[in-house]
Amino acid sequence: MIDRRLFVRGLSAAVAASTLVTDSALAQSSKAEADAARQIAPAVDKSPFRLGVIGPGSRGQELVRSFLRVPGVKVVAAADIYPPRFAQLNQTCGYEVASHADFRALLDRKDLDAVVVATPLGLHAQHVIPALESGHHVYGEKTMAYTIEDAAKIVNATTAHKRIFQVGHQYRYSPWIRAAVARVQQGEIGDVTHILAYWNRNNNWRRPVPDPSLERLINWRLYNQWSLGLFAELGSHHMDIANWVFGSTPTSAIGSGSICTYHDGRETDDNVQAVLSYSGGRRFIFTSMTNNAKMGDQLWLYGSKGSLNLTLEDATFFYEPHRIVKTPAKDGKAVVTSASYSPAGEMPYRGPGKPVQVTTAEDPTTAATRAFVYCVRTKTEPIADAHVGYGSALAVIQSNHARLKKQEVEVPASI
Amino acid sequence: METYSQLRPKGEGLKQKYGEVTEPGKNFARQGIKILSLAAVCSLSLVAQPPLQHFHQTHAAMGTIFTIDLNVPDQATAEQDMDLAFEEIDRLEALLSNYRPTSELSRISREAGSAPVVTDPETFHFLDRSIYWSRVSNGAFDITVGPLLRAWGFFFHQGRIPSQAELNALRDKIGWRHVALDPETRTVSFTNHQAMELDPGSIGKGFAVDSVVKLLREHGVTSAFISAGGSTLYAIGTVPGAAGWPVDIPDPRAPGKIATSILLKDTSLSTGACTEKFFIKNGHRYCHIFDPRTMRPVEGMLQTTVIDPSATDSDALSTVVFVLDPSASRRLLASMPGTKALIFRQSNQSPSHASCTAINWTGNPCEASSPAAKGSQLHD
Repeated sequence: MIDRRLFVRGLSAAVAASTLVTDSALAQSSKAEADAARQIAPAVDKSPFRLGVIGPGSRGQELVRSFLRVPGVKVVAAADIYPPRFAQLNQTCGYEVASHADFRALLDRKDLDAVVVATPLGLHAQHVIPALESGHHVYGEKTMAYTIEDAAKIVNATTAHKRIFQVGHQYRYSPWIRAAVARVQQGEIGDVTHILAYWNRNNNWRRPVPDPSLERLINWRLYNQWSLGLFAELGSHHMDIANWVFGSTPTSAIGSGSICTYHDGRETDDNVQAVLSYSGGRRFIFTSMTNNAKMGDQLWLYGSKGSLNLTLEDATFFYEPHRIVKTPAKDGKAVVTSASYSPAGEMPYRGPGKPVQVTTAEDPTTAATRAFVYCVRTKTEPIADAHVGYGSALAVIQSNHARLKKQEVEVPASI
Repeated sequence: METYSQLRPKGEGLKQKYGEVTEPGKNFARQGIKILSLAAVCSLSLVAQPPLQHFHQTHAAMGTIFTIDLNVPDQATAEQDMDLAFEEIDRLEALLSNYRPTSELSRISREAGSAPVVTDPETFHFLDRSIYWSRVSNGAFDITVGPLLRAWGFFFHQGRIPSQAELNALRDKIGWRHVALDPETRTVSFTNHQAMELDPGSIGKGFAVDSVVKLLREHGVTSAFISAGGSTLYAIGTVPGAAGWPVDIPDPRAPGKIATSILLKDTSLSTGACTEKFFIKNGHRYCHIFDPRTMRPVEGMLQTTVIDPSATDSDALSTVVFVLDPSASRRLLASMPGTKALIFRQSNQSPSHASCTAINWTGNPCEASSPAAKGSQLHD
């Protein structure tokens, strides 16, 4: 997390990032939690907040639903090259939203407080960078960019134009994930050395296409032109959480994948696997398949003292059996006999864990959109800022690069 | 979750019993309704169009099992339509579930007592419609009864009878009149200044069915049947070659018998009954449908069925007419000619007899059960 005062003073992000690793992790984490709590808290300011949306497709409309839960927010303009989206958006909003066939016309408007970019991944940079350059604050969907160069340009444009940029890594705003990660950072499960993440589904990942000519537009996730496949669309959230928990970005990536079930002309794989290396030999492993949903969407954080399971709705701790402890010499008291039985062995633990209790377990996207409006109104640096977006983009892009190259590739440093 | 889903083409007619797979305490399903799908009846149209094939899929959501029957040209279309429909149901469950703290409805329940909560147009519309039915029914319908269900043990899978003192203590925690809606700002506030428990159980499934119907129609579906646990049904178009989708309404006076067989077309049907979710204490059956005004389970009502073009409304109304006295239901529905109701109630005079009330209903469903002889009446 980048220190807010450093951001305001305009110091370089690299300086801010270096303080992150040198400072006391505990102090950082409690400060980060206080900052996060302020951003996520129920909105007090109800003044008008005018939003423009580039790409009001299915995800764009879902974001709009969340933004409309923030006091004062009104969607005033939208841009899309697929006209049916405008009528859908009007219905989602319950009023007429000005429509633009060209996103530049939307960016030329002077009545916007912020712009949402929810276009296909391959177009993110083309929309986000001009938006920042024309003076708009931006909520940009993940993955932040299609290439590392584009991701770096977004980071630089955010700094150069002193704009607020928040990336759609909404799990950073999930109360139970924040609470659980804070406890991990305080050592609750020892040193976390491995994170295993799954996002499995059982469907073909296709949207209905009214006309075959629209296939690549509507099912863009299935084609390389704009998509980095399952690593980007699903894995980026998990890779972001790994960066957050490990406190750094990965150093190298191994990737693989195949088309194993859906031989329907798609170009992106219907199952992928990635292994990311972090400093000190730590590993993150991601796997996604689309023909079996048993594992669903979840992460497991493994430390020497226990494990943490994170899902879309909750977080649960599990603890390892107690280890040898050094104690003062025995005082000569007799041992009381008892019968005991431990089924440990090599069998997996199948009992219950200890759930993380939070009082405000709201939808992460609802919290993230509210936090973005707060950040724009108060000129506060978001929790999921461009550097967070850059870190996750690095992991996604290099996992995919390794998959194509069929060998381990280096991951450039964070910025 | 897709875990429970199965997609299979159907070449033969099938007879299904709905509302069987239920989870105690979470089951909103109230009554099994038998549906005879005439899938084998292919269209004999002379127009050169691919013959429609029948597909069927089930999906666990909202504490019940949703099923969809589709007549579409091919399996690929069926898979896409089914995915869209069930994704929509899951989206609405995530929006409205009172079992999920992450839902928008739970957020409102938690926060609207402290300060006005701005919500999205869809959730606001859901609340607006819920409060509308509370107002129109003079409180017979009320989504704020969550604490009552809890006090009577319906959340813990075992019934209990709360003391009057316990119920009195709940008076301030429930009541639709505490829910203030401001359409200008789309804000919800609880005027009793405390957290409440909004429970979508008597309207949410209908709301989901309406959304699915709209979505399927937008995607060109002309023949489909959607069932939310058998308690809320919607028929899009007809079974090819027939006048509608056949639905049998059981006769609660004679187990196993059918009160009336109807054909449903472009309209919804919802049922309320206590035959599946109840508890028995000291020989008395306590129903999970409450009269919010007495804070006690409804007594003496056997089964209600409501037909209305909106599944949201038929779902809510099947509870309204379950809670109201049949004469009050008749007065309420007098101004709603497009809404039909069929009500079976234990007779006051003789507990072993039941009264049957049909309001705006086509045909004579209250007469002796012999539907086969009379043929199925079309309701559209």
